[in-house]
Amino acid sequence: MKNIVKLGLILAIFAVGACASLAVVYSITKPQIEAQDQIALTASLKEVFPDGEIFEDISSSVVSSDSEIIFQNAMLVKSAEVPLGVAIKASGASYGGKATLLVGVRLNRSIAGVRVLELNDTAGLGANAKNEGYFVKKAEKVTFPGQFAGKFITDAFEVKKDVIAITASTITSKSLTRIIKSAAESAALWLENSTVTDGSEADQGAQQSSVTETTGGK
Amino acid sequence: MKNLWKIFKQGIIYENPLLMLMIGLCSALAVTSNVSNGIGMGLAMTFVLLFSEIFISLFRKAIPSSARMPIFIIIIAAFTTMVDLVMKAYFPALSKSMGVFIPLIVVNCIIMGRVEAFASKQKVLPAIFDSLGMGLGYTWVLIGIAAFREILGNGTIAGMQVMPQSYQPILFFILPPGGFLVFGLFISLNIWLKKRMQNSAKERA
Repeated sequence: MKNIVKLGLILAIFAVGACASLAVVYSITKPQIEAQDQIALTASLKEVFPDGEIFEDISSSVVSSDSEIIFQNAMLVKSAEVPLGVAIKASGASYGGKATLLVGVRLNRSIAGVRVLELNDTAGLGANAKNEGYFVKKAEKVTFPGQFAGKFITDAFEVKKDVIAITASTITSKSLTRIIKSAAESAALWLENSTVTDGSEADQGAQQSSVTETTGGK
Repeated sequence: MKNLWKIFKQGIIYENPLLMLMIGLCSALAVTSNVSNGIGMGLAMTFVLLFSEIFISLFRKAIPSSARMPIFIIIIAAFTTMVDLVMKAYFPALSKSMGVFIPLIVVNCIIMGRVEAFASKQKVLPAIFDSLGMGLGYTWVLIGIAAFREILGNGTIAGMQVMPQSYQPILFFILPPGGFLVFGLFISLNIWLKKRMQNSAKERA
């Protein structure tokens, strides 16, 4: 009995020491890790909205309607002062665990683009969703996430109907499509309730801003 | 000093953890599809091995033998998590491509094996040399296998094109079966090297 207490105490001392040193390393690396995540996110945002310059955080007002899909981030993308659309970083379960996607929705309720940020599915099968050399439409060189660009949120988003699946990876295809659909719907809902101006007015705004830009240049 | 050098040398050829002791193989086969992963994994592993051996050797008298396993795991896990955090912070691309294999260093048999068989019985200095030798032995094999597989299977080294553009990559080498084949070749290479070194040692004696 006495021995067990002694062993437990020694074990506890080692555990406390390890925890303390880990806490130190964690607090040193934390800001750096967050900065790296931010860089990666901004790079993906730039790919989805090439004209995007300002990314306003609207995470608190965008809610996921699907309880299994979690929105980590939501942003209103603007070029200068003109809103371009909404981007949502959403994650849900796929074949090999958590998958995280970035979904961009334009003001006209069409999808601006989809980027796969995190996916741990089988290499050579499901992982082809993030392989930039794997094409679901070979002739047009369209990748799996690439095929969503330009789709309207009123579309069905059903694998094997309007979404081309990755060969032999039905689960990956279905789970990613579900995440995209849910994010797109929530983004559209947010746009519906917000005061953000829609397509036609935004176009005018874009012209105005280009004018101001040129005068600013002088 | 000569003794320390001998301990260091053990891990590289004679008792190479991968090719002779044949432990810690799964992560070794999994990450060797490109050279930068091999280097990263080798360095991460050597770092964890070095510090775990130092700490366990330092505290070897304080660690009761009936509770040594959980204590070893705590120490190894702490260093592995540190490596994982540092990699995520400063080498995000490398950390992404190695994914789950960095946290899995905790349960890598090489570390547990060396800690149990060596560091828990030896002084700090021999433990440092043992960990460096074993780490280097692990790293050179990883880099070797990865270079072989990457050149033939993808035509590149660490992402740079080395084979002519007309070269059609043999995908087999990147896939797991190719990993096993190359690994087998390395085992025979190591046995050949070991025999040669033993013979030349005999001739000198």
